[in-house]
Amino acid sequence: MSEFERVARASELQSGERKTVVVDDTPVLLLRTGDDFHAIEDICTHDGQPLADGPLDENLITCPRHGAKFDVQTGRAVCMPATEAVTTFEVQVVGDDVLVRPRS
Amino acid sequence: MSASGTQTDTTPGFGTAAFESFLETRDEPDWITAQRRAAFACYQASQHATLDSEEWKRVDLRRFHPEQYELCDQPADTAALNLESLLTHRTEFAGHVTHLDGHCVGQSVSDKLRQQGVLFGNLSCLLREHADVLRPHLLTRAVQPDKDRFASWHSAFWTSGTVLYVPREVEIREPLHSLIALARDGATDLGHTLVILEDGAQATLLEETLSAGPQTAGLHVGAVELLVGRGAHLQYVQLQNWNQQVFHFAHQAGCVAQNGQLQWTVAGLGSKLAHVHQDVTLEGPGARAEVNGVTFATERQLISFWTQQTHQAPETESDLLYKEVLRNRARVAWRGMIRVDPDAQRISGFQRNDALLLDSDCRADAIPGLEIEADDVRCSHAATAGQVDDEQLFYCMSRGMHRREAMHMIVEGFFHDVYDRIPVEVVRDTLRTAVERKLGILN
Repeated sequence: MSEFERVARASELQSGERKTVVVDDTPVLLLRTGDDFHAIEDICTHDGQPLADGPLDENLITCPRHGAKFDVQTGRAVCMPATEAVTTFEVQVVGDDVLVRPRS
Repeated sequence: MSASGTQTDTTPGFGTAAFESFLETRDEPDWITAQRRAAFACYQASQHATLDSEEWKRVDLRRFHPEQYELCDQPADTAALNLESLLTHRTEFAGHVTHLDGHCVGQSVSDKLRQQGVLFGNLSCLLREHADVLRPHLLTRAVQPDKDRFASWHSAFWTSGTVLYVPREVEIREPLHSLIALARDGATDLGHTLVILEDGAQATLLEETLSAGPQTAGLHVGAVELLVGRGAHLQYVQLQNWNQQVFHFAHQAGCVAQNGQLQWTVAGLGSKLAHVHQDVTLEGPGARAEVNGVTFATERQLISFWTQQTHQAPETESDLLYKEVLRNRARVAWRGMIRVDPDAQRISGFQRNDALLLDSDCRADAIPGLEIEADDVRCSHAATAGQVDDEQLFYCMSRGMHRREAMHMIVEGFFHDVYDRIPVEVVRDTLRTAVERKLGILN
């Protein structure tokens, strides 16, 4: 199983903010919604390009190019044209450190 | 995304100080230094420029950190390395050139070729000795240094390279061999291949890339220039077979004069991320180009090709066939264009890309295109992508084959069309071996 990687300080992100990081050699989008942190692979499963600039509404992120929507908690694709879920990562907050690793 | 600047002034290995130090190590004529300085100015200007999104949007450069790479003062010790490549010992070659960590470490050419006036060897040496012949062709006609960041990076810092110059009407029957290897961790190769066939000449150059170990990280920012004269015939093969820790960026361009013929094969087997910009220009009436691509991507490899077949003259013919097999989470992107100039009437242009996906997590993008300004042409394109047909697998297994054998047979059959077009038997055999290794059938 991969080790957790420290990718951010919890205090650097406010609710609704995001940070792009690389975990396990994969581009990952770290998002904060309320007190929760979520990490998803930063690639839309529809067109294979980043979700990083997409608007975030509650727990749904919208792909900025074609409008596909993904649930950042589960990765599930909830709106066409995407049909496949985006990969999610395991997140742990320890003190002020946000740690991320691939799910086993 | 990836098209925006990931490379900034934080690349000390290729900054101003590094460039000046690099120039001091090169004992080169003033015209080369001037050419390098002009390219370096383009390179610096391109640092924050956006790369062409049509070409680069499917190439995710976020995993690429140029600051991790630098030029090597000295190559690794060849005595301690195994530089046995896919092509080594497979056939008789009329000459060899070997480059390691950006330095030429060996070259040989048969006396017969030397007597015929053929130049084959290290670019740096031959440019000094034969500038009159080579200077007009270096980074002037085929690859343009100001094309983009990677072209200017290469043009400013090119390290070693292979030259093949064949005089008028000289036919070389035996193939020539060029090997580009990386051994030191974090080493960069900026090798330049320059092939010039004068009118009526014939030659075959087989080039391959190799990593000395399976885990050494490396970077290749290369260029290939193929200049085929009137009635000349060139067969050029490049087998890209780095380990899966190497980033590979290449500008490759071929120009074919009247009634010339270019048979060009590229294989994308290795690398962590590869992007090849491949241009073929048919400059004179009757010129012909055949382009073959064989790609097998596995694990998390991303292999990308941007190809363009440009018809500048009437009655020219281009035919491109790329075949790709993907497994695991690999990605392959191909963006192909046939461009026809207004005067290029009665031409024939074709391009086809087929992808076979062995797993549900891999992905292939194929985007063919046509830009036609003439009105009497035959141009077409095709692209397919699909998974292995379960019925085919079941049929093979019902005949007593193991699933792995059946998969091998199906993959081999898929590549068969493109193998049939590769004119050099040793290359066909080598590719078959490489595919078997990728499938895990051979060690």
